[in-house]
Amino acid sequence: MAVLSRIRAAFRNLLHKRQVEDRLDAEVRSYTDMLADEKIAAGVSPSEARRNAIAEAGGIEQVKQAVRDRRAGIGFEVFAQDLRYALRQLRRSPGFAALAIVTLAVGIGANTAIFSFVNAVLLRPLPYPNADRLAILWSGLGYSNRAPFSSFEVFHIRQRATQFDQVAGIWVTNGALPGDGPAEQIKVGDVTSNFLPLLCPRPELGRLFGPQDDLENAPNALILTHGVWARRFGSDPNIVGKSVRFGRNRATVIGVLPQNFRLIFPDDASVPPNVEVFSSLPVGPWEPQGPAFLHVIARLRNGSNLVAAQTEMNTAAAEINKLGGRASMANFSVSVFALQADDVREVRATLLLLFGGVALVLVIGCANIANLLMARARQRLRETTIRAALGASRSRLARQFLTESLLLGALGALAALVLGYAAIRAILAARPPSFVNFDNVTLDWRVLAFTFVVAIGTSVLFGLAPAMAVRRLDLTRDLKESNRHAGFRRRHWTSLLVSAEVALAFVLLLSTGLLMRTFINILHADPGFSADNVFTFRVSVPGYAPLHLIQQKLAALPGVRSAAAISHLPLDDAGNWYDYYYKEGASADEQNSVMADHRSILPGYFTTIGATLQEGRDFTDSDDAQHQHVVLIDDVLARQLWPNTSPIGQKLNISDSPAGFYQFQRDWAVVVGVVHHVQYHSLTAIVRPQIYVPYPLAPRPSMSFVLHTGAGVTNLADAARREVASVNKDIPITHVEPLQLLVDRAHAESRFASLLAMLLSGLALVLASIGIYGVLSYSVAQRTTEIGIRMAIGAPRSQVMRMILADGFAWVLPGLTAGFVLSLFVTPLLERLLYGVKPGNAANYIVILVGVLIVCALAAFLPARRAMKIDPLTALRYE
Amino acid sequence: MVQNQTTLLQGTLDLLILKAIGSGEFHGLGISRRIEQITHGTFQVKPGSLFPALHRMEEAGWLSSDWGESENNRRARFYRLTKTGHRQLGAETAQWIKVAVAMANALKAT
Repeated sequence: MAVLSRIRAAFRNLLHKRQVEDRLDAEVRSYTDMLADEKIAAGVSPSEARRNAIAEAGGIEQVKQAVRDRRAGIGFEVFAQDLRYALRQLRRSPGFAALAIVTLAVGIGANTAIFSFVNAVLLRPLPYPNADRLAILWSGLGYSNRAPFSSFEVFHIRQRATQFDQVAGIWVTNGALPGDGPAEQIKVGDVTSNFLPLLCPRPELGRLFGPQDDLENAPNALILTHGVWARRFGSDPNIVGKSVRFGRNRATVIGVLPQNFRLIFPDDASVPPNVEVFSSLPVGPWEPQGPAFLHVIARLRNGSNLVAAQTEMNTAAAEINKLGGRASMANFSVSVFALQADDVREVRATLLLLFGGVALVLVIGCANIANLLMARARQRLRETTIRAALGASRSRLARQFLTESLLLGALGALAALVLGYAAIRAILAARPPSFVNFDNVTLDWRVLAFTFVVAIGTSVLFGLAPAMAVRRLDLTRDLKESNRHAGFRRRHWTSLLVSAEVALAFVLLLSTGLLMRTFINILHADPGFSADNVFTFRVSVPGYAPLHLIQQKLAALPGVRSAAAISHLPLDDAGNWYDYYYKEGASADEQNSVMADHRSILPGYFTTIGATLQEGRDFTDSDDAQHQHVVLIDDVLARQLWPNTSPIGQKLNISDSPAGFYQFQRDWAVVVGVVHHVQYHSLTAIVRPQIYVPYPLAPRPSMSFVLHTGAGVTNLADAARREVASVNKDIPITHVEPLQLLVDRAHAESRFASLLAMLLSGLALVLASIGIYGVLSYSVAQRTTEIGIRMAIGAPRSQVMRMILADGFAWVLPGLTAGFVLSLFVTPLLERLLYGVKPGNAANYIVILVGVLIVCALAAFLPARRAMKIDPLTALRYE
Repeated sequence: MVQNQTTLLQGTLDLLILKAIGSGEFHGLGISRRIEQITHGTFQVKPGSLFPALHRMEEAGWLSSDWGESENNRRARFYRLTKTGHRQLGAETAQWIKVAVAMANALKAT
């Protein structure tokens, strides 16, 4: 009750201040008046009675102040006073205020931006129902432990799974855009009937797949994404139930997915986010030796966990091993991971390191502001001491300083939100590939709360030093001392902060050096091909004869040196195709130990993209189903399968389809050539070796043409379109782009990382040098008289300069030493992101060390030069 | 009477004010005179302590106040106890008696 009443009173006191004050005044005056009345009645003269009454009461103002000091809401009042005072202080030194606020805005803004990515990628659950129960399964067989499953295996896993209540699979292929209108090639997801219900609570229209779609005679059914429905069918509200053209067949649209539905899979699952149409794919035990192509997700039974599921899958894998499938007698395994953790496993390390980087920048910025505040506190020492002498309590003075820091922090945080938002936009625009799945990065309440906490935390951090200094005030000493000389105390605080700044900046710069070296190495990495003057586009293929004809026509175009086609372009990973391949006489174990990418090509591909044929021959037009079945392999596979002999003429068990589309079977082929490995997945890692099969043996519904042109040949797109149309005007052309574009895209991740690191460490270096410069110039200004005396008694100018420089380096050198020690722990964390450079790289250390020394020397030189130019006469009169 | 020669125990002032007002209505000077009277001059409350206490107790909801006319036709602020104030007076009186008896016993002990 009393509390409520006091809160009401506090509001009244704050909101109706005038009234409350008027009443107080009237009340105290009426008291003294009545007291005076008593005295007059006792015979004292009126004027004396009044004076005595006021004196007896203890002074009208004093009584009023005593009431004010005890009033409800006095805390707010004092805070408001402090705030007004702080604002006045900041307005009085706009340069200081601007520097502090900009430093904070950059420091906190960078943290806000990176945290919003951490929030979106690592903290926020995936946008799926029961996201915390979703798991992804990988098969392991031979050396790869992140491989897809065969239909046979999924069937048997389902039979044995009790910890999962759903096990679902998807395979992404290229297919035709459904419906009438110009043909276009899109990604199609072939999914088990329970896949979509796992990720999407309800469709926008119609229904999702169900058990009825798995029946043998089930009609072809399609589910459209919102995007396809809008752009191809004009958002037709009656689309459900309509039969539409789908490739060579027709299918019935049974549902449309909501607009916010998205596939979020790990990069190496070959399940890209741009799948536009889903069709149903039943699984069953029909083909024990069938290919592994299904990427499997599962939902944990309520109350189960990943460990129990993994244990169960270990048993299941051992049983499946004995069933006579492709896994037989090999060490087939099933790994279970949380879908979210698996999705972010590549980007996690980068993000956390970036987070560490921005935190360091903020700490350096805070150190700078703390130094500035200390300097200001010293300048205001006289004022502070006078206020203390007049009766301001120490805690009130400390609170005053802390209020100033909080005000700076709040202003900095506001600017930081604006800056952070801009930074998020900029990072998203740069689109580093690993963030493609996570473009819903926003300033949500968590980010705002984070910014708020960081702002308060930093304000307290840099506000603490001056606030503590106030507590150590010594009135008699500090009042006597001149304001200028008072600054000599507590220099050790300042030097510690500067040393720490140098140390942190050094570590950041070392990390940046490593990341930049990595980027340069990646730029110069040999991808196994040359993208120079290679132009590509993708076509849907109606058959071998038209494909062959198009190739001949393209090769005959003016400016084109050679033309060929391949099923998967280098560095264009989506919809990948790979399997286990083995040589003649391989044991069952060996049959399931070497995986390779499966590539279908037309003759001339290697010449066109500048890949090196190391041994044997390229395909010719007569390598087809009717002749000897042949295959080309890369040198990586050659070393794995035939380490000691030439692979030429050896037999390799592959899958091919001599009978036409989608009739793949295991078959023996003779190796006729070895090609230098081409980087299909990344510029730096050899993910898998490759086999190349001639198109007539491995027909695909879609192929990418590659054209090697003379230098400076442009505008090939129109010519190519004409040639393709002259063969068959229904063949769609998509993805018209130079091969270099794919290479650039592959560089993007590393470019992004090194760019951000450069930005961060550049900031750190600038802040640290501002710190050195600021503290040193301040100290020169403080020592003007001393320097004047030194020079007056004969110290040469060079010696004065040396003295100031030495002062500066007395902070820099311990900082560098500390930074070196710190780097021994920090740089190894970068290892995963590096390519072709070790964390302990000596050249990196030397270059960065020299760089930091130069910048620090420059920062110290300017104040030192000013000290040197001091005129002794002026300096002595300065006091 | 020398002013303020007896320091008020912490919390005593509130009780004295509540008791002094009792069921009546008094202005500031009246309250201070009444305290003097009922303590037989032991306590003399000066406005520097009285007014902060009155305002604080009013903010806590124990007192309410209104402008009125004094005996000499001066405009003055008159205080009276609210229902909560009466409850508070009862509670504090009981508490004080308990403490006082305990202290008296303790000091009488040999």
